[in-house]
Amino acid sequence: MSIAESSFHYVADLVRRETSMLYEQGKEYLVEARLLPLAREAGDSDVDVYVSRLMTDAAERRKAIDALTINETSWFRDNAPYQAFTDVLLPQAIAARQATRKISIWSAACSSGQEAYSLSMLLDQHLPLGWTAEILATDVSTAMLGRVKAGRYSQVEMNRGLPATHLVRYFTRVGSEWEVSADLRRIVTTQHLNLATTFPPLPTFDIVFLRNVLIYFDLDTKRDILRRVHARVAPGGSLLLGSSETTLDLTDSWEREAVGRVQVHRPVPAAGAFGLTAPTRAAV
Amino acid sequence: MILEGPTYTDLHAVVDEVWSAFLGPEDPLLPALPDTGLGDGVTWSAATSVTGAWNGVVTVEIPDVVAQTATERMLGLAPGEDLSTEDVADAVGELVNMIGGNVKSLMPGPSALSLPLVARGTIASPSDLTEVSCLDLTWAGSPLRVSVLARRDVPARATDKQESA
Amino acid sequence: MHALIIDDSRAMRSILRRIVTDLGYDTTEAEHGQAALDHMEGGLVPDLCLIDWNMPVMDGYQFVQRVRDDPRWRDVTLMMVTTESEHGQIVRALAAGAHEYVIKPFTPDAIVDKLELLGLLVAEVPA
Ligand SMILES: C[S@@+](CC[C@H](N)C(=O)[O-])C[C@H]1O[C@@H](n2cnc3c(N)ncnc32)[C@H](O)[C@@H]1O
Repeated sequence: MSIAESSFHYVADLVRRETSMLYEQGKEYLVEARLLPLAREAGDSDVDVYVSRLMTDAAERRKAIDALTINETSWFRDNAPYQAFTDVLLPQAIAARQATRKISIWSAACSSGQEAYSLSMLLDQHLPLGWTAEILATDVSTAMLGRVKAGRYSQVEMNRGLPATHLVRYFTRVGSEWEVSADLRRIVTTQHLNLATTFPPLPTFDIVFLRNVLIYFDLDTKRDILRRVHARVAPGGSLLLGSSETTLDLTDSWEREAVGRVQVHRPVPAAGAFGLTAPTRAAV
Repeated sequence: MILEGPTYTDLHAVVDEVWSAFLGPEDPLLPALPDTGLGDGVTWSAATSVTGAWNGVVTVEIPDVVAQTATERMLGLAPGEDLSTEDVADAVGELVNMIGGNVKSLMPGPSALSLPLVARGTIASPSDLTEVSCLDLTWAGSPLRVSVLARRDVPARATDKQESA
Repeated sequence: MHALIIDDSRAMRSILRRIVTDLGYDTTEAEHGQAALDHMEGGLVPDLCLIDWNMPVMDGYQFVQRVRDDPRWRDVTLMMVTTESEHGQIVRALAAGAHEYVIKPFTPDAIVDKLELLGLLVAEVPA
């Protein structure tokens, strides 16, 4: 049993339209593996029957898109970026923000929130007394944003990269899940944002995590996103990409710098009219 | 007194996690059609008990084909390889151990978890136990059942009676 | 690198063995804490112990206490892998000297992620 070509095309187009994520030829098995449980749940005999259901059922379409967006994430994913955050990026941001004593961070493509909450734990441990911090967590999937807000994780998710000392310190058991503490949830704000289209008004950020999402887009979309993200990184601030995304041929508007085991990207100030404009602050 | 048990949602979440982590995510656990039962074939039963602040027993009943598949996947063997009865009993025991441990943490604590007990056939449950939650599911076309039974530990507090008399 | 896998279930030992062998570890298995201690008294000094909690003869909690009490095993990393999942149990195990804690059920990535945190991922997997 394997998915019909027409079904695959329909699904690939749907996902591309909604998220810009590419499902290229050869990924049929992935589409099938992800839709099969939904098909069974809906009582359909195979994935093709399920795909024809999608054509008329908008609610089911939402579910399918959520199942097809790759939400894979973990606590302190790859570890090294978080080490760089603690050792170098946060101290730099603190040095730069002595006047306002406020650090702002963006977790773009936040998935279920492990990235944003991992950062909030580090802020809890390393932010000097009297400082505040704000983490904006954005994603194209409203289901994922709902999960970030709820701050609840299954046992299997908790196991993925969260040090046991942090589990004990920041989580409580709620039924079969674990809930992140209210103190950490207070730092994290969520907002719906499709990276592939024009951004809504955003402030500038000291540190931006844009990890493990660009890989799903075509080159033009990647370039376009990086161009728009550029304007949202504060001068002297930093952008972190996923570990397989660092070799992207970035334009000369970014400077690359090795910090520990990761590459950090710094915006090169754009010369010209906009270079001197104060960053506009919008409500988040 | 009201016998306490885990909610259906929590119990389902626990079983679902154990199943998808060790038996693979491709085949989802689905609710069974009403009255399908476990069929007439050979079944395996496993139980583990919780004692302490909450007292009860968690049981898993699965047909032979599910027990065999579970064992193959956990031991990393190809389908159809010869399995000893001990291997199957061990794998089924580990499944109930994981479900039981997680059910324990859903209930008031502290309590201790027993080592699992596994049998081919069914395990008769002691008469002082009452079923408080039950999941009837199908997995890869086969039925399975997970139940939680709580102990009716009638507190022998004679003083209560005297006072109310 | 050497991992001592301590669990009374053969199926669970097999799952853990496959995960750490893929990461380049040699392994020894024990079906309870006492059997594991016997291996270590016999001269085995593992880099890592993966330890179930509920086992016959000697449970994993007692095993952690025994290992932590003995200076010979100061450098052995202890990671619980157990279905005991109450907040209080995790606190107890850490207080007794366990370095990390994985709750069953887990996916293989969970073990890999934890070993990365502990700095115990072997860089080169022998071919
Ligand atoms: C693989 S996860 C990465 C999560 C996290 N950043 C990490 O590194 O672990 C990718 C996330 O990107 C989101 N995503 C996909 N397309 C997007 C788009 N066009 N705009 C914003 N987010 C998108 C998905 O919903 C998913 O949550």
